[in-house]
Amino acid sequence: MKWLLVLLLSLTSCFAQEPMPQRIVSLSLCTDQLLLMLAPRQHIAALTQGAKDPHLSYMAAESSGFLLTKGRVEEVLSFNPDLIVGSTFASQDSVHILKQLGYPVKLIGLPVSIAGIRDLLLTFGQWIGSLDRAEKVVEKMNRQLTSLNLQQARVKKTALIYSPNGYTMGSGTLENVMLNVAGFHNLAVDMGVVGFEQITLEQVVAAQPEFLFIDNPMNDSKALASQYINHPVLDKMLLSKQRQFIPYRLRACAGPMVVEGINYLFESYHDSKP
Amino acid sequence: MIVSHSYCGVLIGLLVVMIGSFFTHLLVGPVSLQWLNIWSAIIENKVSLDSLIFFEIRLPRAILALLVGATLGISGAALQGLLRNPLAESGIIGVSNCAALGAVLVFYFGFTQSVWFALPLAGLLGALVSVVLVFLLAGRSGSTVTLILAGIAINTIAGALMAMALNFAPNPYAMQEIIFWLLGSVANRSVGDILIIVPFTLLGWVLILSCGRFLNAMTLGEETANSLGFNVRVLRWRLVVGVVACVGAAVSVCGNIGFIGLVIPHLLRPLVGYDPQRLLNVSALGGAVLLLLSDIVVQVLSSGGELKLGVITSLVGGPFFLYLILKNRNLWS
Repeated sequence: MKWLLVLLLSLTSCFAQEPMPQRIVSLSLCTDQLLLMLAPRQHIAALTQGAKDPHLSYMAAESSGFLLTKGRVEEVLSFNPDLIVGSTFASQDSVHILKQLGYPVKLIGLPVSIAGIRDLLLTFGQWIGSLDRAEKVVEKMNRQLTSLNLQQARVKKTALIYSPNGYTMGSGTLENVMLNVAGFHNLAVDMGVVGFEQITLEQVVAAQPEFLFIDNPMNDSKALASQYINHPVLDKMLLSKQRQFIPYRLRACAGPMVVEGINYLFESYHDSKP
Repeated sequence: MIVSHSYCGVLIGLLVVMIGSFFTHLLVGPVSLQWLNIWSAIIENKVSLDSLIFFEIRLPRAILALLVGATLGISGAALQGLLRNPLAESGIIGVSNCAALGAVLVFYFGFTQSVWFALPLAGLLGALVSVVLVFLLAGRSGSTVTLILAGIAINTIAGALMAMALNFAPNPYAMQEIIFWLLGSVANRSVGDILIIVPFTLLGWVLILSCGRFLNAMTLGEETANSLGFNVRVLRWRLVVGVVACVGAAVSVCGNIGFIGLVIPHLLRPLVGYDPQRLLNVSALGGAVLLLLSDIVVQVLSSGGELKLGVITSLVGGPFFLYLILKNRNLWS
């Protein structure tokens, strides 16, 4: 009887531990970066082209040597993947078809809190069978955040983000969370901005933030979209210090790089240059 | 004498309306301003939040609306006189789209930094190409149908080339911005944008206005104008260069704002006794009024800036265009 019990136990433990996927294909920039952080190299079958772009991807250096796709169904099928990971906000057409074809597709959302980022890392780690690595990343993140919190100033400074085409980021965005953790109060939230919304130049000037964060993700002035953030009135605002917002690669996706982005903002908080 | 009195009356009346629209335009915006602060900024040179918004955002926008509106009005009147065709207008015969194409090529592929006048010059050259094409295709015959068909063809080609250029532009925002170039807007412009177009705009106006008497003679036909001592060849070119200079410059910073050049001369023509020379002046004033008012509507309807100016002017102008066609259907067929 004893051997039967052992067999049963070992069987259940087999079922409890999901089989480790061996050929993982990613459909989005955010899952690219999570795979590069958490998965063993030999288990990654393909990433998307964004992964190697240093403007977009925190893991650009690590992405060399991997096959890159545009996330099209045909490309994905050629790898015969045993797990496909993507984002709920990208490649929806491909995801739909791949699901219909019976492939295992798992999608991540974009968490808008630090706790949400921790959960995401752990869940993703579980999916790809690297929970232990994910736990280590989360622990490191927690340590860094704690040390930041210890030095955080009590007085909140007011801030506003201004992006191409006149967009700003209000409540319910990762950017807002990062501002808060770094010691800023986001004036867009007072204006009632939820998510990403357009505000006029007049509203930016009238808000008089202590810090005006200019968001120029493409570092490019050759578009009308940039005329909002390059308008001369922004340089003449009386009480505002103008700073570049967090580089895009530190906030495009949820992950441990967000802490680096918060640190970047935290340095702005303390520097007193005009 | 009676006619000239009423002409002065029309001129002064329109001027008053234009100044009124200009100041109303300055009052409109998402932030309510303390006008005392602006006054003290003028008197004591004291910079405040209100003066910053007023001088850096609202004033440039109103001035630009005025300049561009006047340009579209005067060029519409000039083109209608020159081609002796009531449907000639920079938007309809493709001048605006070609100017926009020129501006797009220079703007998105990074030539704007080369010289300060690169953008309006590109608009001018684009406009020039289209006017020459229109002349070649429809100028001689003076037939309305040929003119409109040539205009549709040129407009379509220029629009397609513009879409293609924006598709290949090395910028993620370029493709969305085709809406700006096709519909036009004066939002979020700075003093710098005005400065680069002012020389071209003034040059264009002076050239057009200097051709007033020639346009009067042209109503009698080319040969009569010739025999009256006008050098038709030279004056026609002077007028064309005038139109493309100011329209090219206007389109290069504000996109293609449609129908003003069509509607305004038609509305005002009866008021100046069908006199093409006088029509130039009043159309400039009328165009400025219409554009200022349209931009007020745009700001009231949407503060974020999603609505484009050309939407409003087309909503006014489109039905008017239809009305013109219906009214003159028998005349032209």
